[in-house]
Amino acid sequence: MSAKKYEERNEKSREGRRSHLLRKWMLIGVALTFLGLFIFLPLIVVFSEATSKGFELYLLALTEPDALSAIKLTLITAAIAVPLNTVFGVLAAWAIAKFEFKGKNILITLIDIPFAVSPVIAGLVFVLLFGSQGLLGPFLEANNIKVIFGIPGIVLATVFITFPFVVRELIPIMQEQGTDEEEAALTLGANGWQMFFRVTLPNIKWGLLYGMILCNARAMGEFGAVSVVSGHIRGLTNTLPLHVEILYNEYNFTAAFAVASLLALLALVTLVIKSFVEWRSEKLRSE
Amino acid sequence: MGISINGVSKKFHSFQAVDQINLTIPTGDFVALLGPSGSGKTTLLRLIAGLELPNSGQILFNDLDYTNKNVKERKVGFVFQHYALFKHMTIFENIAFGLKVRPRKFRPSKQEIKKKVYELLELVQLKEVANRYPSQLSGGQRQRIALARALAVDPEVLLLDEPFGALDAKVRQELRIWLRELHQKMNITTIFVTHDQEEALEMADTIVVMNQGKVEQIGTPQQVYDRPKNAFVYSFLGRVNEFRGEALGTVKDGCHLSDNYVGYLRPHEVHLSTIASDNSLPVEVFHVHSVGASVRIEIKRLDNDTLIEAELSADEYRRIGPFYKGDRLYANCDSIVVFQHQHILEDSLPKTVASTI
Ligand SMILES: Nc1ncnc2c1ncn2[C@@H]1O[C@H](COP(=O)(O)OP(=O)(O)OP(=O)(O)O)[C@@H](O)[C@H]1O
Ligand SMILES: [Mg+2]
Repeated sequence: MSAKKYEERNEKSREGRRSHLLRKWMLIGVALTFLGLFIFLPLIVVFSEATSKGFELYLLALTEPDALSAIKLTLITAAIAVPLNTVFGVLAAWAIAKFEFKGKNILITLIDIPFAVSPVIAGLVFVLLFGSQGLLGPFLEANNIKVIFGIPGIVLATVFITFPFVVRELIPIMQEQGTDEEEAALTLGANGWQMFFRVTLPNIKWGLLYGMILCNARAMGEFGAVSVVSGHIRGLTNTLPLHVEILYNEYNFTAAFAVASLLALLALVTLVIKSFVEWRSEKLRSE
Repeated sequence: MGISINGVSKKFHSFQAVDQINLTIPTGDFVALLGPSGSGKTTLLRLIAGLELPNSGQILFNDLDYTNKNVKERKVGFVFQHYALFKHMTIFENIAFGLKVRPRKFRPSKQEIKKKVYELLELVQLKEVANRYPSQLSGGQRQRIALARALAVDPEVLLLDEPFGALDAKVRQELRIWLRELHQKMNITTIFVTHDQEEALEMADTIVVMNQGKVEQIGTPQQVYDRPKNAFVYSFLGRVNEFRGEALGTVKDGCHLSDNYVGYLRPHEVHLSTIASDNSLPVEVFHVHSVGASVRIEIKRLDNDTLIEAELSADEYRRIGPFYKGDRLYANCDSIVVFQHQHILEDSLPKTVASTI
């Protein structure tokens, strides 16, 4: 290549780099503005509004009996939904990733249903199933079991809504891992449990944790489906998001924002753990 | 442990991966499963290990029916093609795995496990890597660790799937010799899969040549190399020149064969000379290149322009050469092996060969 041509090319690539930089900063700027407007600003509003009438009132809003009962119910719901969906999620992901069977694609599609349908519809489906006018209503009533407008309904709806998180997270990880290590464990004399706990689980643990965190965040924050089945009985069937709505509808803004700040805090903690887990599993994969 | 495989077949959906295989492997034998890609070697190995179950047929270990025993009960050592080391465990933990998962009654103490692991590490000459993770080892090292891990449970059968497949030529060669010596030392019945005929010929006591899920031939390296049962075995076990039949009165006349016959001649059996003789084939030099201790010469038949590969030792080449492109030579096909419908014509085998078997 002649010196002149070389110069020209160099010049061109320098220009290219400059416009590339410009594009990069423009994109970053847009993204940051968007984030600021739609994420940070609301967060700040939530916290400032919650504490606008002083810290004491803030604490009071969180410790009054109805709020406490909402917190308790939310925790109970998550404590049931997350482990249940973890176990089912691992089983389903395992079946899908490591075995060939008829109807596998249908199963994968079914797993996505909770993501695909509106939560309100999910809630309505449960009402149609378990409500007093519903399919199983008479049977439940005869046995004195209250699902809709009760805690069981809330748990059911939450389990349904949060089902895909763990499975979706695990399927690609398990597919990538293949079955070699597990088969190796079997040839070395391990039984099924040993294989699972010593080989399968350690290999998926970060992905699993990631799925569980997202599952937990959604379980505690779910509004639509839970709202339909709960019946909004204060102190009995109100979860945190429902409690926020009630307070807000009663123009009790400070209390509403105070409770909302708990959910916001949960979101922040979730994000921190999530990024830590992401960082860990990235590191593991690059090793 | 001796293994008998009686009429074993395996289908995947409608695809016959292993088809009616019969095979008897005596205790302590060193067997190579040799065949082209997709011939069912891995499937057969997995059937023996119990990682797949056959659709029909029987697998016997020491004359006991093991067909329906699970992997754990078979107590085989299996070395996977891509090693399948446990990524999240150190090398020490990898090797100790098989001992640690034993039921408490049979589990060795911590000290005993440690002792055994270090013995194995010494055996595979990798003592220094005990505390590393698999990702921190080279391919050849991983291979040896995979072997040590399989040996930790004192298997009576060792199954290896393309043990050297992913390694470079030098490491391959070293590991071949090393594995051969190891087998001599421990005398475990060993079956390994390979699609490299040289590897099979060099290492195995017995070679099982497979093609399309079937066994084509079983024999010692010498038997399958010198007395191939059919054209497939002959052409798979080394480089060959193929001679197609043509309209001819007799079966064979020099390098010419009659219709319905196919002849094969290995490159080193093509004898070249600068002077014509009875039965010799006039050819033209097309390309000459030397590979290590031998020289490969591509020659073109003058009658039908097909290429033939000849191989001479460097010494011989020096004696009769050098040759250049376009030189006229005469090739002699006395050693040609003739097949009719895939089957060998006995009297086409060279006399010297026939007598050594
Ligand atoms: N789990 C499976 N499902 C469907 N087909 C399979 C499965 N395992 C193997 N096969 C098919 O069976 C045939 C034999 O496969 P196998 O792995 O035994 O071949 P191989 O001789 O080991 O080949 P290679 O040298 O390429 O490893 C192939 O055509 C393969 O596609
Ligand atoms: Mg294979």
